[in-house]
Amino acid sequence: MLATSMMVVALLAAPPPAVATEFVGIPAGELRSTVRYEGDDGKRHVAAFAMATKAVTVREFEAFVRTHPQWERERVPSLLADAGYLSSWRDADNAGNDDAPVTHVSWFAAEAYCKSIDARLPDWAEWEYVAAADATRHDARSDSAWRARTFADGTPRAMDATLGAVANAYGVSGMHGAVWEWVGDYATLLGDADKRGSDDGDRLQFCGATGLSFANRDDYAILKRVALLSAMEPRSTLGNLGFRCARSSP
Amino acid sequence: MKPLFRTLGMVAALTLAMPAMAADPPLPGDSVYQLDAHVTDQDGHSHAWQELRGKPMIVSMFYGNCHLMCPMIIASGKALHNRLEPAERDGLDLAMVSIDPARDTPAALREVAQLHRLDSKHWRLLRPDDADVRTLAAALGIRYRAQPDGTFNHTSVLILLDRDGRIVARSEVTGLQPDPQFIATVRGHLSGASAVASNPSTRSKESP
Repeated sequence: MLATSMMVVALLAAPPPAVATEFVGIPAGELRSTVRYEGDDGKRHVAAFAMATKAVTVREFEAFVRTHPQWERERVPSLLADAGYLSSWRDADNAGNDDAPVTHVSWFAAEAYCKSIDARLPDWAEWEYVAAADATRHDARSDSAWRARTFADGTPRAMDATLGAVANAYGVSGMHGAVWEWVGDYATLLGDADKRGSDDGDRLQFCGATGLSFANRDDYAILKRVALLSAMEPRSTLGNLGFRCARSSP
Repeated sequence: MKPLFRTLGMVAALTLAMPAMAADPPLPGDSVYQLDAHVTDQDGHSHAWQELRGKPMIVSMFYGNCHLMCPMIIASGKALHNRLEPAERDGLDLAMVSIDPARDTPAALREVAQLHRLDSKHWRLLRPDDADVRTLAAALGIRYRAQPDGTFNHTSVLILLDRDGRIVARSEVTGLQPDPQFIATVRGHLSGASAVASNPSTRSKESP
């Protein structure tokens, strides 16, 4: 406890970094998740945390690569990123100045970036909780017109695809942008490798991996996002998959 | 004075380790030892994850407070080890990495080792640093999820790593006995690995 409070003091006293990531406090609350695991009702308690107001930009990631050369395109081991890693960059160490969200980054790279700013990737439940908000409501999901607009997530027609898109009720921007986002626990979003087919499947549910399902088939935007993430390997990269960081509350 | 001695000791240890490190060929890009992670063993010694390099190894992830699947993973690993010829047995280590570092303290891991009578010459029970559990699981292709009741859902698998940390084969644990085909793969790899180890020229060809 003492160590924690000392660290907070140290952080407050430190000069702001050249590229400051802006975080906004997200109050604790209950989420009815669209994602259901075997035998659960989708209720999740989300503890208070802080979410970055924007996805990590190309410029920010470039600064990270400069200070962490092991993440350069030419140096990164194949364990941690596939051949597509930063493949859209003009040069290995020069992406050009760009305020667009960085893409072509693996989960390992995203995780390392967030660690480097004393943050972490948000968990799925945290992400879903914040993404439920529109500009005025913390949970706009019962509004079918709004929900229909989220169907364009991950495409250039997405509602938050333009840089000028308004922030949601939490003050977070770009949750429904042209770019999908990694989450820290994406590997738990898995319907595969489930043991229900084996002889003692029922008993194994307490320790074997189990599958997930969806509460409503019209939660199409979420379904699409989860399907995409669950198909990824942690070293995978995509031209429309980026990330943002989060921080636990002290 | 004490901290100084410790520092001097560390410097000496590093200096001694250096020639050996220089002799090691660079890690293959797909080696799981590319991860910068730290683990503590059942005796409370802390290690860089990379220190496990050097010997083929069976690795899996588990948690101590698990009463069905995890004992089965350990039993399956033990059965595999017992099915090897004594000479083969010496060429293979086994490591169980915890997904529950909060509860799997070195003392708890020692208890697991005693309960299962694990041969400390070959078995390592490892507790990763909190921040490293997820990256280790990701590198090993093991998926897990904490449940509200304190248990975990997780992939139950034995993974064969070569001496440089490349994944050679994996076998899902479905009972107390390992899959015969996996045993054959392990034995094949161990005979290949010892041939390679005694003939360095073959080895450099394998890992350019």
